Amino acid sequence: MELRINQKTYQVEAEADTPLLWVIRDDLGMTGTKYGCGLAQCGACSVLVDGNVVRACVTPVAGVVGREITTIEAIEEDAIGKRVVAAWVEHQVAQCGYCQSGQVMAATALLKHTPKPSDAQIEAAMVNLCRCGTYNAIHAAVHELAEGGKA
Amino acid sequence: MSNRRFATTARWLAVPCLLAAGLLAWYVTREPASPFTTDTAVDAALVSRGEYVARLSDCVACHSLPGKTPFAGGLEMATPLGAIHATNITPDREHGIGAYSLADFDRAVRQGVAPGARRLYPAMPYPSYAKLSDDDVRALYAFFMQGVQPSAEANIPSSIPWPLNMRWPIALWNGLFAPAHTYAAKPSQDALWNRGAYIVQGPGHCGSCHTPRGLAFNEKALDESGTPFLAGALLDGWYAPSLRQDPNTGLGRWSEPEIVQFLKTGRNKHAVVYGSMTEAFNNSTQFMADDDLAAIARYLKSLPGDPARDGKPWQYQAVSAAGRLDAPGAHTYVTRCASCHGLDGKGQPEWMPPLAGATSMLAKENASAINITLNGSQRIVAAGVPDAYRMPAFREQLSDQQIAEVLSFARSAWGNEAAAVDAKAVAKLREHTDPASSSPIILHMR
Repeated sequence: MELRINQKTYQVEAEADTPLLWVIRDDLGMTGTKYGCGLAQCGACSVLVDGNVVRACVTPVAGVVGREITTIEAIEEDAIGKRVVAAWVEHQVAQCGYCQSGQVMAATALLKHTPKPSDAQIEAAMVNLCRCGTYNAIHAAVHELAEGGKA
Repeated sequence: MSNRRFATTARWLAVPCLLAAGLLAWYVTREPASPFTTDTAVDAALVSRGEYVARLSDCVACHSLPGKTPFAGGLEMATPLGAIHATNITPDREHGIGAYSLADFDRAVRQGVAPGARRLYPAMPYPSYAKLSDDDVRALYAFFMQGVQPSAEANIPSSIPWPLNMRWPIALWNGLFAPAHTYAAKPSQDALWNRGAYIVQGPGHCGSCHTPRGLAFNEKALDESGTPFLAGALLDGWYAPSLRQDPNTGLGRWSEPEIVQFLKTGRNKHAVVYGSMTEAFNNSTQFMADDDLAAIARYLKSLPGDPARDGKPWQYQAVSAAGRLDAPGAHTYVTRCASCHGLDGKGQPEWMPPLAGATSMLAKENASAINITLNGSQRIVAAGVPDAYRMPAFREQLSDQQIAEVLSFARSAWGNEAAAVDAKAVAKLREHTDPASSSPIILHMR
């Protein structure tokens, strides 16, 4: 089947119900997207599909044929994604970094839908788990982005 | 009235009273008749035929526990009066049914009467199994006697206290509610329809969950002659939907091949099995022959719906959840649910079920919607392979209020028009239910 990932077209051979995450990481070698829980709970595997955040570990690959997939590898090619990454650097958000590609995806999707989210909307959208507990830094970065700060 | 006149009247009354008491005593302790007078010769083909009847009847679902000897019993069933446990039905002579003759076995399965005229509780679905053909009972007996390993697992007594634990009144219940005859083919219908009717009403005992029950906990109808038959029912914290032609809460929008696909693979474009149906799928329906599944589908499609009960037929309305973020519950939907069920509510058929037009999102009863959100789904094991995509449990992550809001949102989006969910209903189910196991549960029959 044919997949559009980061503006490129890939031919992949996979069973229709293979999770998108396996295809991205194992077949195509883009390992920036992480495997966490495998149950759509932690968010480490988040990618964008047509600008919406989805959890690649529970996305059957056949369901995203013909749609535009964006992974962390190309997030800075997106204007909002670029601002998010800059804010992450500014706030030195990452500790171990394992969850951060997913966190960046969640923040990018939020700001795409809601350019100036309220605190409640940020709380509701930023639900990815972080074992290091970088939540304060994440929220600081997203708040600044929400206020249209320099980042 | 003088004393003498009173004594005379009492004497006259005593006769019919004694007669009635005697008749009652005979009725509730009698051993009903069985057509089987001698045991028949058993060969491997009969045992294997019996194994298939056991699959159709899903005996294993109640009479086996995961990791234990098949059919050694033990499943606890809560009743308002106390707990009862499914019994050991292996051919062990002491603890199981090894000493049963074919006639004993027949009386237990089709009439709910164990040897010694002891009445079984109708938790054993003998009001459905009453429809089993003589041939299928004979085959089932052959399987249990020769295809199942004996186990000396002792039965667990029920915790129902005296005097409620007396079993004889069940005989009266049986007289009122349990059919006395095996399935009789309807000449006006073809063979496929009749085979479907036989499986649905008899071994499949679909009505045990899908038919509403009356005050005496009796199924309100046992075949298509009654409109409550398979009209949907609330049981054990799940709403078993209508299996009639109701477009919203039933199978009105499903084609016959889609019904077959659902029962064979656990999923189709409308729905994925969950709740108690996971057990019925894992242990029973997926093992049914294609012809039998086609027969079931043909029969179910012949049961008319009821617009008065079902309401206005659902029509999809294209709305993105992301465009309604001001609505309560919408943010939770977008972050927690949309990955799988889609911003458009359409899911990812046939792996993730749609919520747009889903029974749980249209039915008045909201138990299934709440229960699956709190507790997630069990693993579907189709053809020996556990499902990769499972509904996770959200009970630790979402409050009662958040679950109420997100379900109210989904039940009012994409053309869904069901009543809002109250946080109190979520709290109540939270208290009475447990999260679904994440381990695949496979019950073996041999």
